[in-house]
Amino acid sequence: MTIKLENLSKYEDELWLCARCGDCSLADKTVASNRDVYLPCAIKNVLGFEAYASRGRIMIMNDLLTERLPLDNDIRDWAYTCTTCKNCMETCTATADGINLPDMMEALRKDLVANNFDMPKHREIEASINEFGNPYKEPADKRLALFGKREWPETAPVIYYVGCTSSYREKGIAKTTIELFDKLGVDYTVLPNEQCCGSVLLRLGRTKSFARLTKSNLEQMKAAGAETIVTACAGCFRTWKVDVPKEGFEYDFDILHIAEYLDRLIQEGKAAFESPKSITVTYHDPCHLGRHAEVYEAPRRVIEAVENVTLIEMETNKRYAHCCGSGGGVKGSYGELADEVAGNRMKEAQETGASLLVTACPFCHRGLEDGGRSIESDLPVVDLTEFILPFVKQVKKKKAVTESPLKKKFMEYLGNHPLIFDGLKKGAVIDYDLEGDRFHVLVTGRNEIQVNPVRAENPDVELLFAPKAVEELITYNSEGEYAARFGFLFKEPTDEKWIKFVLRLNIVKLLMKGYRKFAQKAGLL
Amino acid sequence: MAIVKAAATHQLYGELKAIVGQERVNDNQVIISAYSKDACHLEAERPGIVVMPKSVEEVQDIVRLCARSKTPIVPAGGRNGICGACLPRVPNVVMLDMVKMDRIIKIDEDVMTVTVEAGLRWAELIHRLNEKGYKLGFRGPYGGNVGTVGGSTSINSIGYAASKYGPSTEGVVSFEVVLASGNVVQTGTGWNPDAQLFGRYSTFFDMTGIFSGDHGTLGVKTKVTLKIYPKADYYTYGDFGFKTLEDATEAFLEVQKRGFTEELNLLVDRQSTETFFPGFLGKHPEINAMFASIVQETDQQLANRKMELIREIALKHAGKDLGNFASQMHWSEMFNLVQPLYNNGFWLNTCHLRPIPTIPIVMKRIWAIFKKHKLLENDIKYIASCLGSERAYATGWITIFIPTKEKMEYGLKVWNEMLDAIMDTGACPYWMGLLWEDRVLKKVRKPFIDTYWKIKQALDPDNIFAPEVFRGGP
Repeated sequence: MTIKLENLSKYEDELWLCARCGDCSLADKTVASNRDVYLPCAIKNVLGFEAYASRGRIMIMNDLLTERLPLDNDIRDWAYTCTTCKNCMETCTATADGINLPDMMEALRKDLVANNFDMPKHREIEASINEFGNPYKEPADKRLALFGKREWPETAPVIYYVGCTSSYREKGIAKTTIELFDKLGVDYTVLPNEQCCGSVLLRLGRTKSFARLTKSNLEQMKAAGAETIVTACAGCFRTWKVDVPKEGFEYDFDILHIAEYLDRLIQEGKAAFESPKSITVTYHDPCHLGRHAEVYEAPRRVIEAVENVTLIEMETNKRYAHCCGSGGGVKGSYGELADEVAGNRMKEAQETGASLLVTACPFCHRGLEDGGRSIESDLPVVDLTEFILPFVKQVKKKKAVTESPLKKKFMEYLGNHPLIFDGLKKGAVIDYDLEGDRFHVLVTGRNEIQVNPVRAENPDVELLFAPKAVEELITYNSEGEYAARFGFLFKEPTDEKWIKFVLRLNIVKLLMKGYRKFAQKAGLL
Repeated sequence: MAIVKAAATHQLYGELKAIVGQERVNDNQVIISAYSKDACHLEAERPGIVVMPKSVEEVQDIVRLCARSKTPIVPAGGRNGICGACLPRVPNVVMLDMVKMDRIIKIDEDVMTVTVEAGLRWAELIHRLNEKGYKLGFRGPYGGNVGTVGGSTSINSIGYAASKYGPSTEGVVSFEVVLASGNVVQTGTGWNPDAQLFGRYSTFFDMTGIFSGDHGTLGVKTKVTLKIYPKADYYTYGDFGFKTLEDATEAFLEVQKRGFTEELNLLVDRQSTETFFPGFLGKHPEINAMFASIVQETDQQLANRKMELIREIALKHAGKDLGNFASQMHWSEMFNLVQPLYNNGFWLNTCHLRPIPTIPIVMKRIWAIFKKHKLLENDIKYIASCLGSERAYATGWITIFIPTKEKMEYGLKVWNEMLDAIMDTGACPYWMGLLWEDRVLKKVRKPFIDTYWKIKQALDPDNIFAPEVFRGGP
């Protein structure tokens, strides 16, 4: 029987562009652009051989496509060791977005399943989802049992999408989430017959049931009058935010992770938190929330909004945070491997000296706890909801946020001069840094911008200014004068007046977003 | 934990497993596949088995085992070299993946050296030294995120800060090498068990030099001791454009001779600049060649003054001040400068060294080849960039990018003509590997290569280290 790699073969052209630089495998305290990449592949860091990092995986996939290697059980076993955490793709600068190894692995997994090279465990998971609406073989009618005999409204503007793991395994997260919603006075409900979001099926290459599950959930969400779907599961969040539209489904409600929802409430003055004691915490970025959906800052703002709490970052964080090891089917397929990866992540957390590790995904929560046990760590791991619930306090009159006057003036100036950003495409985002105080400009359309008083989730470029440089720049009436002076201060800095930049995307991607014109106007090009 | 289990068919599997344990040795073809190439297109044999040693003692045991059984052995570092140097030439090879040997052994501030295990990556080393207030001389090849100190010094890698410090091997004080006998030798002042590793040239001949650039054929490097320097925090940058490559080359040569720069990079034509920094010369239609210069000093005034002098030299040779964006980008992107170029396609490289005045000579030949083959019309981009290197020579990095597999045959034809032109015009490649070997062996003077073989015979009589290297490609 001829084996066809129908799904993987779609990536042949992209596979060609990998020049095997190895950054995805071994990039080690890279000095470029202050990127804190550090041995990005959490799986290779445990298993050691190149075959487990992106570069090696690409070589193996090329061998499969040229039939130098046969599709067999060794390939199957190897294929399910990838958590699809996307750290390799984030590290890769070979193409505009980085070579898409996670999608390639999922494509290969589809081909493995189609050619009957799959794992019995995975068949059971799919069967469970088809029969019970969850991967845990738990009765569907018991899904909401963790909430007791509570009556749920039929409609509400906010739907709490619980997710299978929170419903049946990490129940504490679901319970604290609804307790949080209740305390904050949120008008919400849950779906009467919530189905699995299908994430685990997509990750395992078993995609047949995804459409059915999604349709069922969408129908219920519409029937419930949803305006906003909030979930505390990063995997569900990523699936709804990224995968569901990618699969061709449309919806007109907001999808928010609980971190984003809480952040919004805090910014609107509808929620406040205070710890009675001073505590230091660190935060683990779930891959599905961070790299896959680009939500890095909201959870941090929420944590830092709690009075008396200090947040210390781990060595790898945000875009380059090490994976916990649970995702992509690894926890279910190779528990020991997942534990060891998580153990490494717990060591990173311990090294911060924090007294608590906060995360925002039930799967990460479970994985990190298991990993902590494997290294006999006594560092507690808590979900964001569990962390924040005890600290809810009465909202007093919202204190006016005291922005620095110069920051305010700069933001106002840029807001009044959108032509400075002429040429940048919609979605381009620049972080501005004034002595550590940040705001960002988001291009929302042709000559339309939004100036936001916080750090961007994932800026293209970070511009750092000396205060005296800003004081001068905001005196210019015309965008042309501003640009010319901007370029001058960059090229000929003094101790008092300087501008620096940090590129967060590779040059190809920056050019695609329109930065060439931006740089030309400033006389940099 | 081994997910993909070893096939256990290699004849040394059992004994290697006894040395390193089950988790660090594997001969399954899935594992082997990931070691079948470096960062170039060339292919050779695949290793028979891959081992990941963690200590010099393990390396010694492995080497002794291979010597006893006459099994070939090839050490490999980051495996992102671009000449096929770490690819085995014969079947059944034991490949040493050295990346687990990546500790910093000692920063010796008394004598300004750092000793590291050979599998340490350059980028990591730079960071660690920076934390302590030091910098390296040569700072790593352009693949230094992943390239290892042992690997680079085994193939004369050249790259960052070559303008001031020369290639990787210039900075080496001492190697620790496991010989074919399994014994360990320490070169430089390492001959003396009671002395610090402070000097390369001492008492005896330059044994460090014997192992520099040996392509893994004379022993397995397990440690490297490099010179370090005080951190220098003051930078100045300057980009200068010229109407002709000849003018640019003259200015480039003078700047390099005077020794002002940490890094000095010449882009020989508009297309090269366009490939590297798209749009950079948009406002300078008259400019055809440019160089980017970076000065790094421990004093701001010194940095400023050196850049003033560079500017004077450039203007003297009819240059134009283009600002400093390109040089700032070049330096700040460091080990991520070339990866975005892959977006243009898979690269075919021709890295070599040449006297600076010969740059226009070779480029005339190269441009003629590009014109003959209608390179750009066939959607094949290129870059020709030359880094100044210490006592007044330069690298030549003339690379074409093949956008699709279908164009590879055509690209290889062009590339082979380029290699011939480069060798015809007085070039000497810095590394050899599969890429240059045939051409180099045709040209090499007999006494030179005969001397190498005598050394090889003396150090590795059973030819277990990287056999067939320097004999001609497969």
